[in-house]
Amino acid sequence: MGRTTERRTRGRGVAALAVVVPLLLTGVAACGSDSGGGGGDATITFVWWGSDGRANLTKKAVELFQQKNPNIKVQTSFSAYAAYWEKLATQTAGGKPPDVLNVDSRYLAEYGGRNVLADLNSGAGKAISLADVNPELAATGVYQGKRYAVPWAQNTPAMIYDPAAFTAAGADPAKGMSWDQYAETARKVGTAGPARGVTDFGILDTTLEIWLRQQGKQFYTPEGKLGFTGDDLRRYWQLASRFRDTQAASPADVTASYNTSPEQSPLGKKLTASEFAYDNLLPAYQKANGKPLNVAPYPSGANGDTGQYRRPSMFLSVSARSQQQAAAAKLVDFLINDPEVGKIVGTDRGLAPNLKVRAQLAATATGNDKTLYDYEAALEPKLGAAPPVPPKGAGAIQKLLQRTYEEVAFGRMSVDDAVNRFMTEAQKGLS
Amino acid sequence: MTTLRTPDPPVAPAAAARVRRRDPRGGRRRKSQPEAFAFLTPWLLGAVALTVGPMVVSLYLSFTDYDMFTTPKWIGFGNFAHMFTGDDRYLQSVKVTLIYVLVSVPLKLTVSLLVAMLLNTRRGANGFYRAAFYAPSLLGASVAAALVWRALFMGGGPVNEVLASFGWHTPSWVDDPQFSLASIVLLGVWQFGAPMVIFLAGLKQIPAELHEAAAIDGAGALRRFRHITLPMLSPVIFFNLVMEAIHAFQAFTPAFVIGGGRGGPADADLFYTLYLFEVGFQDFRMGYASAMAWVLLVVIAIVTAIVFRTAKLWVFYDDAESTGGRK
Repeated sequence: MGRTTERRTRGRGVAALAVVVPLLLTGVAACGSDSGGGGGDATITFVWWGSDGRANLTKKAVELFQQKNPNIKVQTSFSAYAAYWEKLATQTAGGKPPDVLNVDSRYLAEYGGRNVLADLNSGAGKAISLADVNPELAATGVYQGKRYAVPWAQNTPAMIYDPAAFTAAGADPAKGMSWDQYAETARKVGTAGPARGVTDFGILDTTLEIWLRQQGKQFYTPEGKLGFTGDDLRRYWQLASRFRDTQAASPADVTASYNTSPEQSPLGKKLTASEFAYDNLLPAYQKANGKPLNVAPYPSGANGDTGQYRRPSMFLSVSARSQQQAAAAKLVDFLINDPEVGKIVGTDRGLAPNLKVRAQLAATATGNDKTLYDYEAALEPKLGAAPPVPPKGAGAIQKLLQRTYEEVAFGRMSVDDAVNRFMTEAQKGLS
Repeated sequence: MTTLRTPDPPVAPAAAARVRRRDPRGGRRRKSQPEAFAFLTPWLLGAVALTVGPMVVSLYLSFTDYDMFTTPKWIGFGNFAHMFTGDDRYLQSVKVTLIYVLVSVPLKLTVSLLVAMLLNTRRGANGFYRAAFYAPSLLGASVAAALVWRALFMGGGPVNEVLASFGWHTPSWVDDPQFSLASIVLLGVWQFGAPMVIFLAGLKQIPAELHEAAAIDGAGALRRFRHITLPMLSPVIFFNLVMEAIHAFQAFTPAFVIGGGRGGPADADLFYTLYLFEVGFQDFRMGYASAMAWVLLVVIAIVTAIVFRTAKLWVFYDDAESTGGRK
């Protein structure tokens, strides 16, 4: 075989490559080049979690923002809570996090502590005004001295309940009650059937947190360690087990089907007559359950304290890698401070963070909205400051609490063994 | 460089050999190569960028502590050591997966063989039944099928109701640690269509004369099944066994959906892949997740190798028949 032929044919091959490769590249390029553009125009991405209903409200608010800021284009997307975090983790790892994102206090340290979120105390973030936000609420977005997030709304832990069932059992939770009274009433509701008195709260980290606060303890210390001992957890699970054993609380298989979305939770499916959640979820629970429901404060501890606090129901953050920090900050500021946005989104995520906007809305509220404003207004003097930002790994701790308590509820493990397992694994996970 | 120069192994050597034999001048073989690569480029780009590349990266990550946001930190065999010494949930996921493989695969193969034998008759309406039995497999690992399954087996669902009408009161299957895995096994078995179709094809290949001759010699249906059907079908059984075992090890969707996206009640449905997903994408431990993926790959390879080794003992290849028949 001659060297010339070889060279010639290879040349032809290279030519073929030269044709094929650019074809492919243009194909790829054609798919991914509709953002950018000069002239001060900016395109930003904005993501949140939640239902379709919430998405419609949020999109309306975003449309209003675009009308008022014609040079900023906002691309939105949303998913359910669990899927949201999986998607966000992947996008962030891929180096393309959204510009404006919805963050939960459970994940604030996870993302903020890893420099994924921009410090809003410096740079473009300074444009976001927190002047009219309750300072204690505003402080919840600060982690290790940096403002990684601003509260998007305020809610309060609450008990959602079916007034008819509780009245029949001779109690009015809205007036407040002790844990003993609650246990007795829930038992009466449960034995009367068909629904049990309460969704078993042994799996809920939020309820454990409130219960600890009623005794002057906390779930996490400011240093990011567990703020309670195995003995505390034992007493909490013994309380939950008392509810379960007396048919006050849901049976194990119903408890295991618990899902944070009201539509799929035991109260939403009419399997229980009350559930610990947040006050802003009342309309969603009501829609799922079908009966008129109400919100009540938590049952109180020995000293009458309900342990409730002003909670950032969710946060807004700006990505540290965003190329459009100014536009992103503008959207965040608009979403928390604009009075018209307050009108559009209502109490879907909770009360408006801006106190002036909130006062305006409260004056004209009706129906479930009014229930919420009245509930929070009545509680306001008693509400404590929010606990410190949970440490990295808090998301995993919540799942750990759920599955170890399930072992107890299904009778596969004693409370003592479950406590030991929880404490060992939690300390490993937080170290 | 090296990847580009190495020819595509499965096809290229054979094709090249054929070309060389036909063309004694030998020039053609070389000539065809660059063009071949040019046309293979899309595939090569895909394979390198989407399969080989990520695999190499994940192998590297499996030796690191990597949270997806900050730079990976090399920790040697730390991840692998942790799996077997300090992680109870890992062992639970191995246990759940092994139970699933050991129960669902034999069950699925038995059911699919039985149905294939039922359909391997000359009665009418067979086409309809074949399609009907195959249909569930078209849904494959779909989320929809798993959602329906969850609705069927949940508290107050149809399965509860039917069993209750026979006096057997069960809890919500999908939410009870005792029943949850069983409901997932049933879903896997229900999707028996793919092995069934292959079994059916295998059954049709068995010469009718063998059965006739044996019947004349007085062999009953059971004996004929044991001494004719099973040996003649053993290559097909072997194929189905390997495929189904590999699939079962990788099961994810049904466990994810039926277990509520979190490993089910008290981790009863914590499949290996599910735990891997949780570790990587929810707990931000991508290094550990990568290590888990590599262990799974190695285990599947070993199991497959063992099945191949034992094949000599029980798989019967009727070589004379098959080469003769292909003329």
